[in-house]
Amino acid sequence: MKKFFQLQRGAWLEFGLATILMIVNIVLTLTFPYFTKHKAYYDSAAYIAVLFGSFVIYVFSLFWTKKKSTNDIAVVLYGFFILWEVSYKLGWVHNDLLIPSPEGLFHVFVEKGPEIGKDVWGSIQLLFWGFLLAAVFGTLLGLLAGWIPRVREVLLPISNVITLIPPLMFSAYMIMILSTFRQAAIAVIFFAVFWPTFQGTVVRVGQIDPSITQAARTMGVGTLGMLGKVIFPYCLPGIIGSISKSLRGAFMCLAGAEMLGINLGIGFFIEKYKSFADYRCVLAGIVTVGFITTVIDLAVNKLKAALIRWEN
Amino acid sequence: MAELQERAEAKSEYKIEIHDVFFDYVQNKSKFAALKEINLNIKEGEFICVLGSSGCGKSTLLSLLSGLNHAKSGEILLDGKKIEGPGTDRAVVFQQYSLFPWLTVKGNVLFGIKQSGRKLGRKERSDLADKYVESVGLSGAKDRYPSQLSGGMKQRVAVARALALESDVLLLDEPFGAIDPKLRLELQELVSKLCTEHHKTVVFITHDVDEAILLADRIVVMEPGRIKSIHKVKLPHPRVREELVGTSEYEKLHRQLIMAFYDQVEEQIDAGVAL
Repeated sequence: MKKFFQLQRGAWLEFGLATILMIVNIVLTLTFPYFTKHKAYYDSAAYIAVLFGSFVIYVFSLFWTKKKSTNDIAVVLYGFFILWEVSYKLGWVHNDLLIPSPEGLFHVFVEKGPEIGKDVWGSIQLLFWGFLLAAVFGTLLGLLAGWIPRVREVLLPISNVITLIPPLMFSAYMIMILSTFRQAAIAVIFFAVFWPTFQGTVVRVGQIDPSITQAARTMGVGTLGMLGKVIFPYCLPGIIGSISKSLRGAFMCLAGAEMLGINLGIGFFIEKYKSFADYRCVLAGIVTVGFITTVIDLAVNKLKAALIRWEN
Repeated sequence: MAELQERAEAKSEYKIEIHDVFFDYVQNKSKFAALKEINLNIKEGEFICVLGSSGCGKSTLLSLLSGLNHAKSGEILLDGKKIEGPGTDRAVVFQQYSLFPWLTVKGNVLFGIKQSGRKLGRKERSDLADKYVESVGLSGAKDRYPSQLSGGMKQRVAVARALALESDVLLLDEPFGAIDPKLRLELQELVSKLCTEHHKTVVFITHDVDEAILLADRIVVMEPGRIKSIHKVKLPHPRVREELVGTSEYEKLHRQLIMAFYDQVEEQIDAGVAL
């Protein structure tokens, strides 16, 4: 516990600076007057909550990792908020329709909290099913093709052609031919994830240390055992490592597909408020996407650390 | 009928029979004959060291015995039956350890036990694995992963895993080539002891003359593609290196082997063969 609160002198100084900047932000939002006619008032509560929340995360990760960069990021972030707040209230930003105040942006989460929640949940469900199906089948087929040359020589050229086509180009077509938006979205994600997963697995199987498979063969391991008991566990770290990358790709395709015509999800949320010209909500939607992808990334890394104990 | 009888008799006498074995590597239409007309019979429980310099075909011979490669002509019999591929009746230890990195020390040994096909309960398997791990002196490290082990410890695990297969035959391909000399001596003594205890028929590939003398009942010296000479080692077991060095028998054998070995190395240099 004592060690947890230990920091170097310089780190304490910068931590103090970041804390002061955070407090300045709160003082500014509560007391700094508007010097402009173009103004929209919003309650400061949501913004203050974000400032506090980010501060808690910052303090925790600073003491946990002891990284200098954590301090630097906090200073840059709170400095940016000050600049944003001041330039809005002084009227340097001339069009508050396009660029909202920080209070206005985060107030969206109060006004439209349930709606965003529902859309995020919708997106995550689509992402989950599309991704799960693609990852499972892509990995299985990749293992098979990676190990059996005849299968590989058929599938690899085909996949090389297909992966050159951006998966989003399938979207419009998928939305037409499949009966529900849900199915279409899942199909789009499937195509975005399946082929890269397949190719990645084939490459990883090809990179297996041949002495490992030879040892397995001398111990009487057959083809099925080789795939399931040797090649799969050997490739697992690589497979999990590639999850966050392909999830990011999947999320991009999903947001794209939602914008194209699926009436659910965070992409749909952004598209909808874009057509209402409510850019405050559009920006809030974009912030949400950033937040979710970050959370997914962190979760995948935790999963990898929990599952793969044999790599340093 | 006569032939069958012959086979049956042969089976009673020899564990492994190598008859006129020929093998070549084919690459880009050029062929390289690694083994030509190899003949060797190995008795049950015998410890054979195959001694030779790099590129003489000794590892190729082992790959044929393990079943990873197939003889292009001739045949290899194990218990009178032709070797057609890899099997659990032969265990192999490679120079590169080749442990499964996702399994612990004990997990690697358990893998061998499961592959051996014995019908055992979970508890019995676990106890047996502990026993093998203990026999190579790694009880304290049984829950570690290979990436956390030194080279010597890894090779101990590989030996334990090979023993766990409970095969009659043990094949070792320069197993201690990458291990420092002091540890190597320990491992040599360990392998010698375990192979005697478990009554294994062993083929041990090496390029180290002292290692061969310490371990073998018979030493097979190879020159490229062929067996050059076979030397019986009559020194009593267990052999301790410090005690052997200086005795007349050891010196005589050592000289013979060095002659056989280096002769051929010189010939190779004269012929301009890259070593």
